Amino acid sequence: MSSREDILESIRRNTRMRYEKPDYAQLEEEAVKYPDLLARFKEVMPQMGGRAVVLQKGEDVNKVIKGLYPNAVRIAATMKEVRCGEGMQPVTCATFHPDDVRCSGDLDGTDLAIIQGRVGVCENGAVWIQQDVEQRAVYFIAEALVILLDRHNLVSNMHEAYRQIDTGEYGYGVFISGPSKTADIEQALVLGAHGARDVTVILV
Amino acid sequence: MSTRHSKAAELFLKDKDLAAWHDETLWMVRAKRDNQSKQLPEWEHLRDMACAIKMYSNSHLDQLLLEFEKNALANGAHVYWAKDAEEYCSIVYNILHGHNVRHFIKSKSMLAEECGLNEFLEEKGIEVVESDLGERILQLMHKKPSHIVMPAIHIKKEEIGELFVKEMNTEPGNNDQTYLTHAARKNLRHKFIEAEAAMTGANFAVASTGECVVCTNEGNADMGTSQPKLQITAFGMEKIVPDRGSLGVFTRLLARSGTGQAITTYTSHYRKPRPGGELHIIIVDNGRSRILADKEHVKTLNCLRCGACMNTCPVYRRSGGYSYTYFIPGPIGINLGMLKAPLHYYDNVSACSLCHSCQNVCPAKVDLADQIYRWRQKLEDLGVASTSKKAMSGGMKFLMERPGLFGFALKNAPIANSLPRWMMYNDLNDWGKEHEMPKFARESFNEMWKKKKV
Ligand code: SF4
Repeated sequence: MSSREDILESIRRNTRMRYEKPDYAQLEEEAVKYPDLLARFKEVMPQMGGRAVVLQKGEDVNKVIKGLYPNAVRIAATMKEVRCGEGMQPVTCATFHPDDVRCSGDLDGTDLAIIQGRVGVCENGAVWIQQDVEQRAVYFIAEALVILLDRHNLVSNMHEAYRQIDTGEYGYGVFISGPSKTADIEQALVLGAHGARDVTVILV
Repeated sequence: MSTRHSKAAELFLKDKDLAAWHDETLWMVRAKRDNQSKQLPEWEHLRDMACAIKMYSNSHLDQLLLEFEKNALANGAHVYWAKDAEEYCSIVYNILHGHNVRHFIKSKSMLAEECGLNEFLEEKGIEVVESDLGERILQLMHKKPSHIVMPAIHIKKEEIGELFVKEMNTEPGNNDQTYLTHAARKNLRHKFIEAEAAMTGANFAVASTGECVVCTNEGNADMGTSQPKLQITAFGMEKIVPDRGSLGVFTRLLARSGTGQAITTYTSHYRKPRPGGELHIIIVDNGRSRILADKEHVKTLNCLRCGACMNTCPVYRRSGGYSYTYFIPGPIGINLGMLKAPLHYYDNVSACSLCHSCQNVCPAKVDLADQIYRWRQKLEDLGVASTSKKAMSGGMKFLMERPGLFGFALKNAPIANSLPRWMMYNDLNDWGKEHEMPKFARESFNEMWKKKKV
């Protein structure tokens, strides 16, 4: 018999009482909800070590990014343009597309990556990134990250978020909440363990 | 006291400063957890739900694992089943060997630790690099983790500074945590890029999608799996959850309970292999299916490996991870060790004062202290009866001898008032035998004194 059959047989032999699947509905109903999602998201991001910036009417997203990261030279962007309220804005501050590199290792040394967020979660500052380029390394290897997120795509909690997300064509997605961090040396919090040291979510 | 735990604890306590720091730091993490839980009115409901989902999942493992397998195969992954540690290690080795992998980068996995994967691979000539900072430090020091979430909690920055001078060419005498962390970042970047394969564990495996979910703060799992195109993911079968709805429950509890954060920085969902790459998934039993039949201990399979029970345990905080003989320390480790090999690990059951704090914080409601209590009752049957008395009073005595610590345990003592009577008065409880147990007052004399009530 194969290990697979052995294991399944052992599970069946040893399983005693079968418990019913619980219904999440009531919990999801009573889960924390924020009346002002935008205000809450702005408040929670710094707690996670990042920042949230709301793009004002008529403001140029490229100017905002350049203002935040004046020293960034190698800038990757996964999109050519971004929908901002009334219309589209071109993303012109980037210097290359992440899939232009020969191999993922060549993305090392990227100063800033501008990527697309799909859903923002107000209870914890997590933003869902659905893989939309072949080299997903760009989400992690860049020194700093700008996540562009439609301000209408904010939800209160993870229950709501999980109803909206998917992993798409590439079969990969990640919630990112603020910069990479560690406290492995004497519990002192340090930003920038392996991933981005600095994260800004721009709500467009 | 002469259990192996108490002897090892004495060793840990010799360095008074480190011991005090360890105690306070973990208590601070516990306080952060409380702060998080209090922000959510639905907290207790979340814990009940997590427990109910695990009870459902672990009693439907046959169905859920098959559903997972079907979906993972449809996603283009390879799926393997490993009965025990050896089979798991061999599967990993064969995959690596078949792809000529010489550089292999790993993110933290308690399963790999449980099965001795690194030793196995290194014996066969494959270089394994741990990428979680704490794990990497320990690997370079040839030491073992002392906590499941904060593996290097027992190491001082001066030791790390010295290590990095040798290993990463850092400035001698510069022990600044930011400096050292960024040196490791730079050093490990090269390791990620040169690796031919990356491996992760899984916090959750979702039956309805066939995806594996990994939670990290450092981003090391994603740095690894986005460089080489060969990915291996292995999980103990109790990591299975039915659907994404259940992830909504668990991701809200895990980091809040373990480290007092609202969520980990990265919650990664691996569903398909990368374009032109391969994804190999290993489902591991290694004794888990046997636990299903043990109704007194089956709830250990609910464990999310969050570490909260360690952070809160007055004995763990004051005795350190190395004082336990099983590789997982603290309340959950005591129980898992007993399930693995009771005659080998029974010393650990003494490392508990039955304050029940662990089971009051556990996000998946593992009945940790009740289980330890049951093990103590069984010691006689195991033929180690003379130890039973020591085991019974060991944790209490440990605290009694350390007044500062006893103060904490006392604060939590009112919990004992609600223990079932059979737990308080029985053949093993020597204190209950000789006298009616005192009722613990809601407020201890000490607390009242401090508040100037007396
Ligand atoms: S037993 Fe509970 S508290 Fe302890 S590590 Fe597991 S889930 Fe966390």
